Amino acid sequence: MQSIGDQIRAHLPYQRRNAASLALLAFAMILTLSAFAEVGLARDGNIPGGLFVYGGGLAVLAFIAYFFQAKFTPYADPLLLPLAVALNGIGLAMIYRLDLDTSHDRKVAAAAGRKLLPDAADAPGQLMWTFVGIALFVGAVLIMRDTDKPDAPMSFTPKTAQRYTYLIGLTAVILLLLPIVPGIGAQINGARVWIHLGPFSVQPGEFAKLLLVVFFAGYLVNKRQAMSLIGKKVGPISLPRARDLGPIMVIWFFCLGVLFMQKDLGTALLFFGLFVSMLYIATQRVSWVVIGVGLLAVGVFVATLLPFMGHVNQRIDIWQNPKPYFDGGCLLDSGKVVPVNPDTDIYKKYKAQGSVSPGFSACAELGGEYSDSAQLMKGLFALGQGGVLGTGLGQGEPWRTPLSFSDFIFDSLGEELGLTGLMVLLLIYALIVQRGMKTAVAARDPFLKLFAGGVSFVLALQVFVIVGGVTRLIPLTGLTTPFLSQGGSSLMANWILIAILVRMSHDARKPAPQAIQDEGMTQIVSTR
Amino acid sequence: MDKPVRRVAIFALLLFFGLMAQVNYVQGSQAEDLRTDARNSRQYADVFNSPRGQISAGGEVLVVSKETGKDNPKYGRTYKDGPIFAPITGYFNGNATQVERAYNSLLGGKDTRITQQRWFDTFIGKKAEGANVELTIDPQAQRTAYEQLKAGTAQGRRGGAVVIDVKTGAVKVAASWPSFDPNEVAPQTGEKGGKRLEQLDKGDGVVKPLVDNALSQTFPPGSSFKAVVSAIGMQKLGLNSSSTVNTGQLILPESGRPLPNSHDSGSCAGSAPLRGAFAESCNTSFAKMALDMGIQELHDGSSRFGFGKHVQLEPDMYAAESDVPVSIKDAKGNTIETGKDGTARSGIGQENVRATPLQMALVACSIANDGKIMNPYVVQKVRAKDQSELYNASPKEFGEAMSGDQAGQLEDMMRAVVSEGTAKNLAGRRVAGKTGTAEQGPGNPNANWFVGFSPVENPRYAFAVMVEAPGSGASNAGPVAAAIMAKVLQK
Repeated sequence: MQSIGDQIRAHLPYQRRNAASLALLAFAMILTLSAFAEVGLARDGNIPGGLFVYGGGLAVLAFIAYFFQAKFTPYADPLLLPLAVALNGIGLAMIYRLDLDTSHDRKVAAAAGRKLLPDAADAPGQLMWTFVGIALFVGAVLIMRDTDKPDAPMSFTPKTAQRYTYLIGLTAVILLLLPIVPGIGAQINGARVWIHLGPFSVQPGEFAKLLLVVFFAGYLVNKRQAMSLIGKKVGPISLPRARDLGPIMVIWFFCLGVLFMQKDLGTALLFFGLFVSMLYIATQRVSWVVIGVGLLAVGVFVATLLPFMGHVNQRIDIWQNPKPYFDGGCLLDSGKVVPVNPDTDIYKKYKAQGSVSPGFSACAELGGEYSDSAQLMKGLFALGQGGVLGTGLGQGEPWRTPLSFSDFIFDSLGEELGLTGLMVLLLIYALIVQRGMKTAVAARDPFLKLFAGGVSFVLALQVFVIVGGVTRLIPLTGLTTPFLSQGGSSLMANWILIAILVRMSHDARKPAPQAIQDEGMTQIVSTR
Repeated sequence: MDKPVRRVAIFALLLFFGLMAQVNYVQGSQAEDLRTDARNSRQYADVFNSPRGQISAGGEVLVVSKETGKDNPKYGRTYKDGPIFAPITGYFNGNATQVERAYNSLLGGKDTRITQQRWFDTFIGKKAEGANVELTIDPQAQRTAYEQLKAGTAQGRRGGAVVIDVKTGAVKVAASWPSFDPNEVAPQTGEKGGKRLEQLDKGDGVVKPLVDNALSQTFPPGSSFKAVVSAIGMQKLGLNSSSTVNTGQLILPESGRPLPNSHDSGSCAGSAPLRGAFAESCNTSFAKMALDMGIQELHDGSSRFGFGKHVQLEPDMYAAESDVPVSIKDAKGNTIETGKDGTARSGIGQENVRATPLQMALVACSIANDGKIMNPYVVQKVRAKDQSELYNASPKEFGEAMSGDQAGQLEDMMRAVVSEGTAKNLAGRRVAGKTGTAEQGPGNPNANWFVGFSPVENPRYAFAVMVEAPGSGASNAGPVAAAIMAKVLQK
């Protein structure tokens, strides 16, 4: 029986879809430029100068990216680049829109002689990172040569991946460890996932994510036969051999340990889901999924028992019942939540004493665990404000949402674009993921299959964890919203991710190499 | 490996379906709950993000919204001559009172009359601008009233004045002393304004600055209530202005104590026509009439003038309830019936009879308008930003308190008060009316009233003035009323 991949390949038109890609790209640009125009019209009643700088800048960058895609990967999936540009453009427009407000705040703060806002929406910065991201996209498309030419530099062939598998794995681990190195690591908003590089803050986890996909793809390609076939069968599930499980477990525990120490449950969840899904793709064995989910459940349970992991506990409490924690709540051992918000006397007492965090101090006196659901609730209020049609870009009050330009940008967009806008955004993400999955299915090589599948799934999972978090589908954890959130690391890593998918889809969709035609008599070489 | 990839792809799709379902749930089903959640400051702050409509009176803009230059509140509220117009405009700081409250949806641009007209703006998410409200108030007369009340009221006490157009019910003056400045509690004052509001709300002694003394505070009407008793007497006892009534001493049936008159000469010497007893304000005649009718008749009769009701001026803007109680509840919750002595004292506007200046102006309105009371209102017009008319007041009848003939007789009796009775000091000042000097207990100044109409021969306006001060209605309230009416009639 033909595999699904073979069936798809048999029906693939094997044609260049560059015109379609260009048309979709033009549509993505119209979307972005309209967003800028709407911001300007809503706020100032005219088309803003930013339209030409930002929208125009993004348009030029997008068409450069298109040029390289069409030239070097002509058979690439036509949807990936336009979809990524649309997301990046909408994100940029939102950050531009928020920057208008915060820069106003800055002006007021400066006039009053107060300190400027430490972190705020930064549209010029985001445009610069978009430029860097698209440059990386172009670079990645150029560097990653056809898999048919295994001697090309840094080509993603099974051979090269296998050659560097452990080196790549080690690099990923080092990147993950960097933020907890004193001196260069930095804790921002409760999660220690940043490092300082000169004037820039970088989230190395974003890049580690991609490297781990490479590592796992390389590792699993080697081991998958053994892992999927050999193993003791206990009841309905068959257990893997210890020597297959061992290295996986090592990196697994290592990652989880590091991430729990960095208090970044979101990234932990992300990597975890990645491992499990790639193991499953490689081995086709449900037992790996069962083992994986079981391990995570144990890990989370143990984590919630550890006193220093209160952070994770609180997130779960808040998720279940956010209202009592608004502006500060204190969970007592009895399970009762006592408010310690600024209206309460105990808060005022510590405030009067000059406590840096009066709510926290107050809760310590009561002997409970302090949490604050204000961020989550305010994000939900933004969504509620938006309703079905949204307030319109530039006409809502997204600055009332904390971290409206980064972790909560999805809620900000939900306020101004409404349910309809969010459905579109989720569809764009789903389309990228599904085009990536299609690429995985269409790929000829097991390594590429694993890699494309893993990369696509990690994107889906990241969107699920952060969007699910800010919409209270799952407990809130900090992650960037791919292409939308402000931040260089995220944009760069995700543009590389798209470049990888573009390159792979080209490889998968291009026509099979033609057999070399005879141009005369076959030369007969005498061995004698 | 294709099968697991496909399964993972389906799982990824399920994740997105989960997200879509959740977003639909939050933004579709939960949106309303989230918007109105008590913790959601947006609902309170949102009202400061668009300019509110103006409030004007007599072509003069009294209340405007101005940009503050801040993000929250984005717009403040500026009140011209705040304390003078506060009884009508009220204040706005997210919450609102009086016209700011009654016309909140129009001023704030949220009313369907605006949003339907500007449906395209609503569709594209553009906030409709608030409409402008034009008051019926005569600003110059209102200023005079405020200054006069301020001058005529005793230290730490209250005064109120109301003038109504008798044909339409349009309120021309509704002034209160003391008052407060809505500017002090406007949005732009922030937390300071909130503290000030708390302070104003608490007040000092009987003075509650947030409660205006024209529409929202009741006082014992004293002898001015005799106009009501006369009207009921004409209906129930068949009296007319020339009927002879007993004006001599009255012994209260329960206590056996005499009810005194202010003087025992002239009409109050023993018996006189009702007109004379009214003009000279003989207590005994009206106390006796009250006893003859009983408290229930008094209560029912006065309800035709508006007693016992919260008179509605505008949607969601009501005056305080005036009352001639048949019984009252004491502090412990026990019911105390109004006995015979109480009924007699009720007949002269004492005991537990309470009335707002607005209520007494309505009494005067019925007298000056052939027995008909017009429903009072304070908003004449509402126009959208593009000047299109969204609302125009149409005068409505509040009720008929007496017949035209009875009204004519009472009109004449009120003229007699000025020409030959207790308010001779007002002769020639184009006003007629009934004085009232109600005792408010030991240590408290009297509630001095002058309730009537103007001009004298062809009444167009009804008024009621009350000032708490030593002295009498004629000497304190009368001149205040005359000064206000002089200003009203200047037009």
